[in-house]
Amino acid sequence: MAVRKSIADMTSAEKTAFANALRQFKTTPVNGRSYNSYIDQHITYFARTSDNISHAHQSPSFFPWHREYLRLLEFDLQTVSGNPNLFLPYWDWTGSVSPFTADFCGAITNGSVSSGNFSPNWGWSVYRSSIATSFLQRRLGQNASRPTATTVNNVQSYSVYDQSPWNSTVSNSYRNRNEIELHNRVHNYVGGHMGTREAPNDPVFWLHHCNIDRLWWLWQQSRGIDTYQPRTGTTPGVIDNTERMRPFATGKTPSALRDITTLGYSYA
Amino acid sequence: MTDVKRRDVLRYSAAGAVTTATALYGVQALTGSEPAEGKPRRDPRDFDEDYRGKRIRGRHFGRGRDELHVNDRPLALTEVSTLFVPEDGSEPYVAVGYISAINHYDPVEIDDARTQDGLRRLGRRIVDRLNGLELSAEAGKGHFH
Repeated sequence: MAVRKSIADMTSAEKTAFANALRQFKTTPVNGRSYNSYIDQHITYFARTSDNISHAHQSPSFFPWHREYLRLLEFDLQTVSGNPNLFLPYWDWTGSVSPFTADFCGAITNGSVSSGNFSPNWGWSVYRSSIATSFLQRRLGQNASRPTATTVNNVQSYSVYDQSPWNSTVSNSYRNRNEIELHNRVHNYVGGHMGTREAPNDPVFWLHHCNIDRLWWLWQQSRGIDTYQPRTGTTPGVIDNTERMRPFATGKTPSALRDITTLGYSYA
Repeated sequence: MTDVKRRDVLRYSAAGAVTTATALYGVQALTGSEPAEGKPRRDPRDFDEDYRGKRIRGRHFGRGRDELHVNDRPLALTEVSTLFVPEDGSEPYVAVGYISAINHYDPVEIDDARTQDGLRRLGRRIVDRLNGLELSAEAGKGHFH
């Protein structure tokens, strides 16, 4: 059972354990998956796949798709480290505590991560980079600012989960407002590889998405856990509540992923 | 791959208009580095400029088929209709933008009644994001949304 903590509440030992588990997984596949296969999946499922469905982004299944994606990574990190309590931390970007420190995601935030944690010398490599480089890239604050608590509260106040046309144009949609105003914005705030299609090259991807998942869970607790839309039927081009999300296993539907108390983790 | 082929077909089928286009945009054609023969149709918004030490070239072939090169390396573009939520608090609006491997969460609005020169702004944004580095071959691989 993983208790996902805020980065503000982690000990230095916990930060080091998390970074080391990622490094270990980068070179040691477990449970039939490799770290780079997560990057492949992110690239593949960002696009509409051959079923003409947008599984991971710009669609209602944005939240449950990433919930399963994170849950699998957390499980793989537990396996590779031999620590069943290892957890994905969340980065509340409205707070003052930064994940970019020497003992955690690495302290370099203005270009090539050329030394320290997540540098090549430390044992990290970039994969399928659209930027011609062998170094992880960051440009903190170049492309966007961090969302404020006011922006987060405003997004959390949208009461409709999602609605037609179920894409990135929907205005009155909790899913789309979160995806654009919080999720996209923080990808752009970090910049470098976090702004690219292959964003999971940066370990902070997981801390960011963990906070997105936590915000959805908080929203679910106030609006209802079983509130995914569209509910049933055959809405073209999107995942319905009881439809399997690729590339995950049979049974991995939004409905099956709605309640985190059944998924083996909680938020502290 | 099929995308590239389709673009080539469009280019060559437009070859009949080359003479007129070259006459109209002769200055642009002379400053370009490509051979004159087989030259594609030119759009007045096409550009070839140096920006922060990088050469950016943009060609307009109609929505969804525009092309952008940074230092002669192609960047695959994907059109997306999306809500734009300005950070300055002004009213959100829906428009069409381009995303790519580099600006994947940051669509740049393309030409419509509201905005012009979108492809050039995108090119400059890409150079800013590259921060002195180059596009890799991976950046030229497209996908659909």
